[in-house]
Amino acid sequence: MTDTVAPSITALSEAPFVAPYAAPNHAFDEAFEDNRQTRLPWQAVMTAVQQLGSEGMQDRHLRAQRILRDDGATYNLKSDPLSPNVWALDIIPQVMSESEWRGLEASLQQRAKLFDLIYKDLYGEQRLLKEGILPSEIVFSHPGFLRQCHNMHWPSETMLTFHAVDLVRDQTGRYIATGDRTQAPSGAGYALENRTVVSRVLPSLFRDSQTMRLSGFFQTVRETISRLASHITEAPRIVVLTPGAYSSTYFEQAYLANHLGYPLVQGGDLTVRNGKVWMKSLNGLSRVDVILRRVDDTLCDQAELRSESILGVPGLLEVARQGNVVVTNPLGSGLLETPALLAFLPAISQFLMGEELLLPSVDSYWCGNQEQLNYVLANIRNLIIKPAVRNLQSKSIYCHQLSDKELQRTIAKIKANPVAYVAQGYIPGSLTPIWDNGQMCARPGILRTFSVANEQGYCVMPGGLARVAESTNHLIVSKNLSGSRSKDLWILSDSAETDTDIPLDNLPISQAHVANLPSRVVENLFWFGRYAERAEMSLRLMRTIFKQLNGIDHFPTESREVLLGAMSEITGSLPGFQDDPELIENPNDELAALVANSQRVGSIKSNLQQMLACAEQVKEMLSADTRIILNELRDHIHSVDRAYVNGLPAVPEESLDGLVTSLLAISGLNHESMLRGMDWMFQEIGRRTERALLTANLLKHTLSRPLPSLQQQQILESVLLSVEALISFRRRYRTRARVSYGLDLLMIDRTNPRSLIYQIEQLRKYLEELPQTEQTSLGLSPDKRLIIKSLNDIQLADLEGLSQIDETTQTRQQLTELMTQVIEQLEKLTTLISDKYFDHTAGPQQLIKAKWKNNV
Amino acid sequence: MRYRVRHLTEYLYGAPVTLCYNMAHLLPRDTRNQRCLSRRILVNPTPVYQTEGQDYYGNPTFYFSVQEPHKRLAIDVECYFEIEQNDLSSQLTLHGLTCGELRQLLAQASTPELRMVKEYTLDSTHIHRAEALAEYARACFADDTPVLQASMDFTHKIFAEFAFDPAATSVSTPPEQVLKEKRGVCQDFAHLAIACIRSLGFPARYMSGYLETLPPPGQEKLVGADASHAWFAIFIPDLGWVEFDPTNDLMPNEQHIVTAWGRDYADVTPLQGVIFDGGDSQALNVSVDVQRV
Repeated sequence: MTDTVAPSITALSEAPFVAPYAAPNHAFDEAFEDNRQTRLPWQAVMTAVQQLGSEGMQDRHLRAQRILRDDGATYNLKSDPLSPNVWALDIIPQVMSESEWRGLEASLQQRAKLFDLIYKDLYGEQRLLKEGILPSEIVFSHPGFLRQCHNMHWPSETMLTFHAVDLVRDQTGRYIATGDRTQAPSGAGYALENRTVVSRVLPSLFRDSQTMRLSGFFQTVRETISRLASHITEAPRIVVLTPGAYSSTYFEQAYLANHLGYPLVQGGDLTVRNGKVWMKSLNGLSRVDVILRRVDDTLCDQAELRSESILGVPGLLEVARQGNVVVTNPLGSGLLETPALLAFLPAISQFLMGEELLLPSVDSYWCGNQEQLNYVLANIRNLIIKPAVRNLQSKSIYCHQLSDKELQRTIAKIKANPVAYVAQGYIPGSLTPIWDNGQMCARPGILRTFSVANEQGYCVMPGGLARVAESTNHLIVSKNLSGSRSKDLWILSDSAETDTDIPLDNLPISQAHVANLPSRVVENLFWFGRYAERAEMSLRLMRTIFKQLNGIDHFPTESREVLLGAMSEITGSLPGFQDDPELIENPNDELAALVANSQRVGSIKSNLQQMLACAEQVKEMLSADTRIILNELRDHIHSVDRAYVNGLPAVPEESLDGLVTSLLAISGLNHESMLRGMDWMFQEIGRRTERALLTANLLKHTLSRPLPSLQQQQILESVLLSVEALISFRRRYRTRARVSYGLDLLMIDRTNPRSLIYQIEQLRKYLEELPQTEQTSLGLSPDKRLIIKSLNDIQLADLEGLSQIDETTQTRQQLTELMTQVIEQLEKLTTLISDKYFDHTAGPQQLIKAKWKNNV
Repeated sequence: MRYRVRHLTEYLYGAPVTLCYNMAHLLPRDTRNQRCLSRRILVNPTPVYQTEGQDYYGNPTFYFSVQEPHKRLAIDVECYFEIEQNDLSSQLTLHGLTCGELRQLLAQASTPELRMVKEYTLDSTHIHRAEALAEYARACFADDTPVLQASMDFTHKIFAEFAFDPAATSVSTPPEQVLKEKRGVCQDFAHLAIACIRSLGFPARYMSGYLETLPPPGQEKLVGADASHAWFAIFIPDLGWVEFDPTNDLMPNEQHIVTAWGRDYADVTPLQGVIFDGGDSQALNVSVDVQRV
């Protein structure tokens, strides 16, 4: 029997569950029969909802939200790393019986096969156009028809690796396709994340429901992708090409890349040399055989396609054309997303396959055909008008919502260029239950399904991404993934499914890639370390300042001058407090700005923002725990924002503690849980360099000015306090606050992890372990030379001499000189590391073009 | 007639270019009346990668990539051709298919050929149909005028009403503006003619190639004085693509050498591509020699 309800649940269940909302007009109800009884496949779900009750459901709902946030599941990040939009998920699964699924599956397989044939025909023989099955204007006027891709080399019989379909149910419950995604379909990764989350918050329901697993689908993805490059190599190197961290579905791209075991790269991480594609990595260039792309067709190659693109790899198309790299879905496949195709699909199916199309498409009319145009104009109120070219700017026009004036304008637009418009019938979409505000209610929803090529044809994911409108008033679910809530689709198996055996031998060896990171990733980790340290050091000094300014003891002007001046120095916001007596007298606004004004470069908030931005860029490299801490950090930043909204709060240091704790948690995690790979190494190098630089700066700007003994003691203690060394200092030297003692602890004490020498010794160790390129000169490399020189400079320093006050300058001249020298050397070191290991290619520019000027 | 064509292209950069990827449409194609006897292409510095191929329109392509730093890139093409006379100009008074009839044939699109030439009735990178453009050509292409005659009349109209002026336009000046200014170069006149003809619904394509020039009487021909040339062709069922040169007011015959055709200049750009580094300045020198042999 299908849909058996687990005994444990039935035993407890009360009265049969009836619909908590009214039957929809003119729409199908997913969960309930006309008599409002629960449909058979939904009974276990409804029982579970009933048993959990309002409180239980709310609890699960919140738990799901938390998991999503901790997983970093975002959508549409835009450019604000502080408040990402968390992926919206409803925890009530959408269910379908296996028998219904099998029918849908067959029709989706057929449709994927058809789209593959259409791609091959349009980029090959073009029989569809020559025989007039598909009006040639649709293809010829479409900017996505890339003539450069005509007759491209392809290693396997199937060219379209991925195919996704958007479906709605009409009033009778029949599935109807409203659109196809053929270029770089998104959503499969979100579906996987949804499954992970829902099965975690509703574990027993999931266990008892015999839900078909998704893993087989992703295994097929791996196998198919590996096979694509079998003509090149046995062990293909595969990458996922992303438009970058600010692409709206970046989470999914990173998630899928990790799940499949492929490195996530951006256009700039790849380069074409000697007719092949390579990844720029720490160890130099490494060959790439397959590119799973999430970048749009026309943006993939600046040399032959859109030259203004910043996402592509110049020269890529030629390599693909020659079969030396496989790009999938193939370039030019965006053309097949034109809604104009739907109007001709049944005829195309007959022509190319001799088969009737199993899955109907929504009624579609191409305005370039006079008869269809006449129909559209006569029935326009009931239609949706879509541009024949689907792109980011294209918007659907729902004619039933238009005013008369707007309608006239739309008609005029169509008549001016009928070829460019398609009209579609409007199907409201079936009603599906969701959990909202503590109760179950219903929303119209749509479904996206995913197919991947396999050796027999296509494999359809037994599940999918269901999405519902944000409110009942919104009858339209956005075609993009934004502005709607998603649901996990469960296909309930008739038989208990044994977990799909994954033949481990067939998995691609994944891979030397782990050691072989793109240079960009390493650079981001390096800066992540630097910004984290910069934020932490400024935070610590800031807390010390607040303590001293608001302390019980009198804090004389000289002390204020030195400490506030050092703050401006450390945050790099000069001149700031330096030589500004008025500001030093009333420092509150400036201090508040240095904490919470993100527009001020060098402020604590801007450093944290930069750090989070670096983290977004390398999302796929971060551990789950790191993401959780980063989320906490985001929360703390928001509390600082709230506390500082009207300038400096009464207890200004209070809200800063959380930030320090989070930053410490990150560095603790790095030490305790991260493998000592190159990713760890560069993060550490960034952190150590920054700490050394800031410590040297701090010593230079706090201790070189001679002060009366009280002030001198206050300053020394403040510095020690800010680097967490005051207690050790007191234990060691009691109350003798001599500058040379301070220098002993902060400069040359090897056992103090915040001393200058400690940082430099660590750096020296790390440099030994970095991959070395071939040496052009004899002896030590310049970076190692610098670090050894710095180490010696500090070790050979005479502390008493450094504390001496110079007669002529009236400063601790030697200290100033030594620190200046160390700072210079460290800055040179960072430049050397950056030159050696990071990528510095500027973007390409276009060749100028010749103008013909013949006249005879 | 036999010709030797030497086409030198030279790019000079302000700073070394470290890497470049280029697609060239510099190699000649065979046509009904034209046969390439031999061809040679030399790139300096020597490309680390190069391939020859064919584009969507059947034009030969040459793709190359240079990976060594260079401040000068030179492409030297030498080809030998044989061109036969065509008798299309004799058809001028004989071929009777009228504009009205052609319009109807296109609307019915009853043959694969007619369905496929629709590509040349639509907008393309440099050509956007417009009423002003249609209006300019409408009188020539009246329904009862034979298409061939209409095209010749229209070619003459452009020749008579437009001034040759290399300073007036750039590679991307749109035909509508050329129509307003009434000046430009061969490429502008070809684009303008194509844009007008397409605005009326007829298929027209862009022809790119060379033209043999003759020195003024009594003077010696200067080396490198020839240049690349552009003209257009219109599609007429059972005649195929018929060429017209509005810059010179004639139907190309033995003196026009074809390298490529497409919807407009963008499809057959002689050299397109990107460079890395190279500073802010680029200079381009082109010299072409067409010699009878």
